[in-house]
Amino acid sequence: MLIRLEDIRRYYTVGEEEVHALDGVSIAIEKGEWTSIIGQSGSGKSTLMNVLGCLDTPTSGRYILNGQDVSGMSDNALADIRNREIGFIFQTFQLLPRETAQANVELPLVYRGLRARERHERATAALEKVGLANRVHHRPNELSGGQRQRVAIARALVTEPSLLLADEPTGNLDSATGEEIIRLFEQLHSAGHTLVLVTHEPAIAARCPRAVRLMDGKVVSDGPGAQVALESRAERARAAAAAVAP
Amino acid sequence: MKGLSGLFDNVRLAFGTLWANPLRSLLTLLGVVIGVATVVSMMALIEGLRLKVTRDLGQLGANTFTVSKWPGGVNFGRIDWRRFQRRPAFHLSDVQLIRQSCPAVKTASGQTGFGLFKVASDRAETSPNVFAMGATSEWLETTGILGIAEGRFYSPSEVEEERKVVVLGTEVAAQLFPGESPLGQTVRIGGKVLRVIGVLSKRGKFLGLFNMDNIVVLPLTTAMDAYGKDHSLRINVVAQGPELVQRAQDEVTAVLRRRRDVAPGAPNNFEIDTNESVTRTFNNLSRVIAAGGAGICLLSLIVGGIGILNIMLVSVTERTREIGIRKALGAKRGRILGQFAIEAVTLSFVGGIIGLVLGFGIAFLARWAFGFPTVVPPWAVVLALAMSSGVGLVFGIYPAARAARLDPVEAMRME
Ligand SMILES: Nc1ncnc2c1ncn2[C@@H]1O[C@H](COP(=O)(O)OP(=O)(O)O)[C@@H](O)[C@H]1O
Ligand SMILES: [Mg+2]
Repeated sequence: MLIRLEDIRRYYTVGEEEVHALDGVSIAIEKGEWTSIIGQSGSGKSTLMNVLGCLDTPTSGRYILNGQDVSGMSDNALADIRNREIGFIFQTFQLLPRETAQANVELPLVYRGLRARERHERATAALEKVGLANRVHHRPNELSGGQRQRVAIARALVTEPSLLLADEPTGNLDSATGEEIIRLFEQLHSAGHTLVLVTHEPAIAARCPRAVRLMDGKVVSDGPGAQVALESRAERARAAAAAVAP
Repeated sequence: MKGLSGLFDNVRLAFGTLWANPLRSLLTLLGVVIGVATVVSMMALIEGLRLKVTRDLGQLGANTFTVSKWPGGVNFGRIDWRRFQRRPAFHLSDVQLIRQSCPAVKTASGQTGFGLFKVASDRAETSPNVFAMGATSEWLETTGILGIAEGRFYSPSEVEEERKVVVLGTEVAAQLFPGESPLGQTVRIGGKVLRVIGVLSKRGKFLGLFNMDNIVVLPLTTAMDAYGKDHSLRINVVAQGPELVQRAQDEVTAVLRRRRDVAPGAPNNFEIDTNESVTRTFNNLSRVIAAGGAGICLLSLIVGGIGILNIMLVSVTERTREIGIRKALGAKRGRILGQFAIEAVTLSFVGGIIGLVLGFGIAFLARWAFGFPTVVPPWAVVLALAMSSGVGLVFGIYPAARAARLDPVEAMRME
């Protein structure tokens, strides 16, 4: 078992009101699984991903990652966990604009404390793996959206993390480029990586072996991707009909 | 190795911030630049004066002291000049008295200045800035510093007989008689015609301010007759030996008190100045320069620190997203803190370097244009750079701590 979430809650206080972004989420993910998290905007997907990525600390609940209870860890300990265990891929890429692709990919290794030569070798290999061997010296603004996301994936892979987390990785890409990225995920899955992919598109969830559907911070279904995607489509149709009905 | 390359990375990032907006950076660094430039040029002036005074005093010899009704050297603070004005003047007879009745005294001379004059020969003339001095024939011996480059100094009988002769400083001689000997030629000074009998050897500027080569010296009697009698003399006294300086001073004091009717127990109505008192004057001077410099410096360093604080707060705000990304990828608080602290130190260090260059420039300019004997001491360089880095550290810590405390999720959401 790589991930175990037990009754995770994440509440925000906005003015007088309490927002339940996650409201008692319990899931388990095995090593090597490819899980998508689907749900409508505001359902709590990003919050869940931030908790999984140790970027955010839940209000209550227990989180066991790779055998360690990370629920009560300090800021610095969590930074270490993020560096060793987790590779992030964000919708908006989150690359350092002034640095080259090479330097961006090396960054997590800087915080790992590796020497320059090893960083260089590993970053070059990771960029090769995502098909960007000829773009290492480009800065983000000299790259297309798809290429930027590949740099981000290389950066996530370079530390050989136990978990890859992607939050709407195709959200800022056109459909053809998005398709390439999803193919890349398929390859990574075949290579044995554990993937969690956040999406609001049933079409993408349908291609994952497993999908977890969130609604208002609660897990409403958990099963094979194709099946959960169908449910999600049906739910959407119902919501649309309700909106049109008098 | 690991720490070093991390440091290098951070220094590189700091230069990135500097170059991102060079004009803004320069303006925010201005305080540090001015602070450091002030320190360096002040130190250069004090150090230069110190070296110069040491050298000048060395030439003066340890056996000499002066007697005058005026306080010697440069003075600070309120001085009641009228009190000194009311004192009885010193005359030639006082010089003779000291020479005759003080056994510890080897010789003594009297001198007085008559102001600035234009000196003219048949063909050329100087600017009206030549200092004219009247002195007795022992003057050369008592000042100890000046030799004669050409010709001779005047004799006691020439003083007694009010001969119309003059000894020129080298600069005056060079201006009036370029490429020929001035000896035996005549010059006009303030309407009087005088025959040149000698030229003083080159001396340079005393304390960098008074040009000792742009003077003329003539027999005291001649000078008083020509330019005014009501001058009180300064008397230069040489003791028989280094061990007799104190004794000579005591004898001179006793003789003069009697001569000037000073009641027993009353303070002297004249001043005795030694090398030490000149040194003391110099120390006063450098303390005033240092205090003024320290004030300006402290003020501009605070201004500079606020500049650094400002540029770093802006930098942290502009790079909130970058900080979020770095934290997401595993940067601990200490790393972020270090990154921004090093950036602040690098920035102000750059300001320090610019200030240093500027300070050297000011020191050089002061020497070249005004003849101040400025010398930048090596430790002033170290002090300036340490100071600027210190300012960067002190004022950079707060923005750096703010960066380190940022929440990665919030930070990455920033545009
Ligand atoms: N920092 C925050 N402060 C207050 N409310 C938040 C914050 N982050 C998220 N939320 C709220 O939590 C809910 C879930 O947000 P999020 O996880 O971003 O949804 P999703 O990614 O599924 O669109 C939303 O209602 C959102 O408004
Ligand atoms: Mg989201």
